[in-house]
Amino acid sequence: MQEITGLFRIAKVLRDLLGQFIPDPQLVDICMSLINIGAIFTIISLTAVVLVYTERKISAFMQRRSGPNRVGPGGTLQSVADMIKLMAKEDIMPAGADKWMWVLAPMLLFIPAAAVFVVFPFDNKAIFADLNIGIFYFIAMSSQSVLPFLMAGWASNNKYSLVGGMRTVAQMLSYEVPMVLSILGIVMLSGSMRMSTIVAAQQHTWFILLQPIAFVVYVITATAEINRAPFDLVEGESEIVAGPFTEYTGMRWALFFLAEYANLFAVSAIATTLFLGGWNGPWLPGWIWFFLKVAGMIFLFMWFRWTFPRLRIDQLMSFGWKVLLPLAVLNIIVTGIGMYIYEFFS
Amino acid sequence: MVGKGLLEGMRVTLKAFFGKKETLQYPEIKLTMPARFRGGELELDNKKCISCGLCARACPNHVIELTTGSDEQKKRYLKSYVYHSGLCLYCNYCIEACPTNAICWDKNYENARYFKEDLDVDCLALAKEKSGTTTVEVAQGDKTEQEDTLKRREKDE
Amino acid sequence: MLRTETFTLNMGPQHPSTHGVLQVILELDGETVVQAIPNMGYLHRGIEKLAESRTYAQFIPYTDRLDYVSSMGNNLGYCQTVEKMMGIKVPERAEYLRIIMTELNRIASHLIFMGSLAIDLGASTGMMFGFRSRERILDLFDMACGARQTYTYIRFGGVSADIPSEFIPELQRFLSDFPAMLDEYHRLLTGNEILYHRLKNTGVISGQRALEIGLTGPALRASGVDYDIRKVEPYGIYERFDFSVPLGQVGDCWDRYIVRMEEMKQSASIVAQALEQMPEGAVMATVPKVLKPPAGEVYHSIENPRGELGYYIVSDGGVNPYRLHVRRPSFINLQVLNEACQGLLIGDVVAVLATLDSLMGEVDC
Repeated sequence: MQEITGLFRIAKVLRDLLGQFIPDPQLVDICMSLINIGAIFTIISLTAVVLVYTERKISAFMQRRSGPNRVGPGGTLQSVADMIKLMAKEDIMPAGADKWMWVLAPMLLFIPAAAVFVVFPFDNKAIFADLNIGIFYFIAMSSQSVLPFLMAGWASNNKYSLVGGMRTVAQMLSYEVPMVLSILGIVMLSGSMRMSTIVAAQQHTWFILLQPIAFVVYVITATAEINRAPFDLVEGESEIVAGPFTEYTGMRWALFFLAEYANLFAVSAIATTLFLGGWNGPWLPGWIWFFLKVAGMIFLFMWFRWTFPRLRIDQLMSFGWKVLLPLAVLNIIVTGIGMYIYEFFS
Repeated sequence: MVGKGLLEGMRVTLKAFFGKKETLQYPEIKLTMPARFRGGELELDNKKCISCGLCARACPNHVIELTTGSDEQKKRYLKSYVYHSGLCLYCNYCIEACPTNAICWDKNYENARYFKEDLDVDCLALAKEKSGTTTVEVAQGDKTEQEDTLKRREKDE
Repeated sequence: MLRTETFTLNMGPQHPSTHGVLQVILELDGETVVQAIPNMGYLHRGIEKLAESRTYAQFIPYTDRLDYVSSMGNNLGYCQTVEKMMGIKVPERAEYLRIIMTELNRIASHLIFMGSLAIDLGASTGMMFGFRSRERILDLFDMACGARQTYTYIRFGGVSADIPSEFIPELQRFLSDFPAMLDEYHRLLTGNEILYHRLKNTGVISGQRALEIGLTGPALRASGVDYDIRKVEPYGIYERFDFSVPLGQVGDCWDRYIVRMEEMKQSASIVAQALEQMPEGAVMATVPKVLKPPAGEVYHSIENPRGELGYYIVSDGGVNPYRLHVRRPSFINLQVLNEACQGLLIGDVVAVLATLDSLMGEVDC
């Protein structure tokens, strides 16, 4: 391994390199931004592809099977084969579907899933955009993914899709509130919504130790936000076959699928940043710690999916409003009181 | 504690995650079928067959069509033996009914075919190929030929 | 003017959760079920009519295909009906072999129930585990009779062949592993709070209503009615075994689930007792080659994993039955779907269907 003290060092090296060839510093900035955009896109697409394979392998191992093991060494090229197959499929649009809404839905779903990647702190000063409302931006963008589900559900001209679409709206809106409130506890502790400040505040203690209830609430609401088991009744599969996705095939369905996995990475990255200390850690470079922690969180989410049955819609709603919301509010009260006492004594 | 059952379930799957996998890497490893396995196609030993027709009579689904002829010594011999594997129930009645153990299963479970006609197996031809006798026209020595079809269904040639 | 109306959702014959090809026409008010009408017949194969053109012995392979998951039970019912008509006595060893096979098949069938319930509710790991254990039982059957699902093992007057020498050690190995397997399923599924809340108090069928409709099997016993044909009118040699019949209290999906899990344990204990008591001897009585029962009619029923399986044969003295009717438990149990689903949500319809455990091969015959 090369002696790298962080992604920031790589960026500095690149900038110096470019500065030797291009005289104008503003042009260098533009070039660096383009390189950053390219890097983010690479991460997004790689994420989706790698996570599909990971999910299949983990699910297989938990069910005492082997999973994909033929295509490529150990089955690693399975996602590539899947993508090629999906691209080669016939593009069918249901008769009577509302054409533009139906076509736009998967694209509009993928955009917020990809757009939140700009606020992840991969390493010290290695964030694409260190907004001072960083975490608020994440919450705002992830709420945008509610509407494309409803669009897909309505425009498919299919009763199953409509039921799925209605369920999505109910579920995602109900679970936004406890999620925001659990994140509010972190914001109170660190005093800022900027991602780099939050990570810097965790240098000595990770926030998971100071906010365990918020962590539990966050994990549960994040599972509901990304429509994974036990909250995957949107794509119920054994009840409403695939919910809003029923009428999509080929690349359109692949976009939904990729958006789901990009979302999975996104909520894991946020959990790492807010609760597990971001890129902080001894000896190894920061970004390796970041990816290790994100991998741990992803494993946790996949573990949930392959163990638990799914909840019914009324149980889900009552759980969100009657259990998680009071818990999150309680957490805020306790945090506030705790902070006041801490300041009083120090 | 609320959620204790959930954690127990997670422990079960984690144990399975690190445990032994049960996948068999087919087609590199193929399971051997037990001795009594009923499957594949019927294999006829034409030397043992006395052309009694008990197998065709025992079959619930008229799967076996056999015709017998008699040669100049008025001895019965097997003229044709067709096994319609597409209709077969694999119930084993034919094999149990045979008095000379002339038929048995060939235990080959990879017998998917592309065309429906390939499902009708001419067991006598296969048996003669296997035992090395040429498929000489046996009707050469027949003077009095009695077609004695033992199937109940009408078949137009 | 604003008003709400109900809409019809078709849980069509092709659906991941109807156990086979069943169409359930749901009339929904939002997500609440107003009516759930099962529409069966997609797998009708005319087996009862086929019986009239087959001899009695030739019909045994067709009985396998009724409830294809518990074929031994189907064979047993039919053979005992004909033996009742003809007055054939079965040797001791054959009786014990029949008991072992039928009870093993009960375990296999309930494992399928558990697996499909798990995957219908979203826990697909449960299905993989259940089917993996069922493989052990199917390997045993493969050893004994050569087939994994349509056995044709039980014949008139006994069983078709004695078990091979490697059967008993393998069976004992299975019986010793089985409690650990059951414990794993209980830890994965029964202890799960989500499953509990999905199944508790859904699809309640009261004992009185169950008796009126003609429900039988574990669904009836879950509603609190103590009726198991193996205890009430023992057939074969069931009175020699010591087993208990699990009962439910409320008659909801949870009780139906628990009753079947307990029945698996009881079946394993019956198999262990039968293994100990089994004598040596012949496995087939002398039965005439061409069976011509005297003219008349007979009805005999057994306790299949899904309920009371009955065979009603009318004979006119010839080699073919004049009329054969099968009283199929899944067909009669399915009638209760509509009233059990009143006022439930769509997800509950799936749970009720899974716990009623209907098999379409048997429903449509």
